[in-house]
Amino acid sequence: MMLEDELHVSVRQRDGVAVIDLVGDVTTFAEERITNAYNQVTTEGAKQILLNFRQNDYINSAGIAILIGVVTEVNRHSQRLAISGLSQHFQKIFRMVGLAQYAEIYQDEDEAVRGLAVAATA
Amino acid sequence: MIERPHGAQHAFELSIPSEFGYEKVAREAVAAFARKLGFDRERVEDLKTALGEACINAIEHGNQRGSGLRIDVCCLVEGDALTVEVQDQGLQRFQGCGAPASIDTKLLGAAPLRGMGLMLIRELVDESGFVDSPQGGNRFRLRIIRRVAAAHASA
Repeated sequence: MMLEDELHVSVRQRDGVAVIDLVGDVTTFAEERITNAYNQVTTEGAKQILLNFRQNDYINSAGIAILIGVVTEVNRHSQRLAISGLSQHFQKIFRMVGLAQYAEIYQDEDEAVRGLAVAATA
Repeated sequence: MIERPHGAQHAFELSIPSEFGYEKVAREAVAAFARKLGFDRERVEDLKTALGEACINAIEHGNQRGSGLRIDVCCLVEGDALTVEVQDQGLQRFQGCGAPASIDTKLLGAAPLRGMGLMLIRELVDESGFVDSPQGGNRFRLRIIRRVAAAHASA
């Protein structure tokens, strides 16, 4: 029996930020859903993107590789990427792999949206 | 079953199908055990992430994602240390790997996006590495040590 992880990905706008909500596990099964969401907001002209993590008990290296792929595209499209909602453990993991160098990490969505707004006016 | 070092208690073992997704079952089982042993929340999270990566390596590399294969996960307790061994059936033996590529190298397209598992394991647990596997296959061992809380240590 295949045990596919449950991940719900949805897209919304908030104060000029394209918010991609990632609810659930981020593993190798997540690639298509995350890539599609990123492509959607990019097609719609997003310049500031927030990956908003919620209820993420399991993020593994395959999932992190998908996120590094998103960073590659963000750099190519001159967008700004932020991350919010990670537990302390996964904030540590993201720092270990170097993702924090390329995406600002915030505690929660409100803080991230404020941070992106400040960065946009700087 | 793994050999039990002198003084170690063979706590339990489980066998999971060698398929993505089942590593989460192993993570949850071993994490519940580690909590029972008194490991604190962050150490349990470290263990869960490390064990998940070890299982994925076994599924993807050791067992080459072959159908019908198994991964065995065994836990040993020795004093304040919890040792977890992940055994695959070894369609491919681990040949060693170089230093992990940095994220900068990956973003330049000069290295695969994947390939961070062993680095993460090394960072998260007290000891890790491949060990001899007399019955064949690859056996990966990781070990975490329970830290005594500062308040208790100074009491």
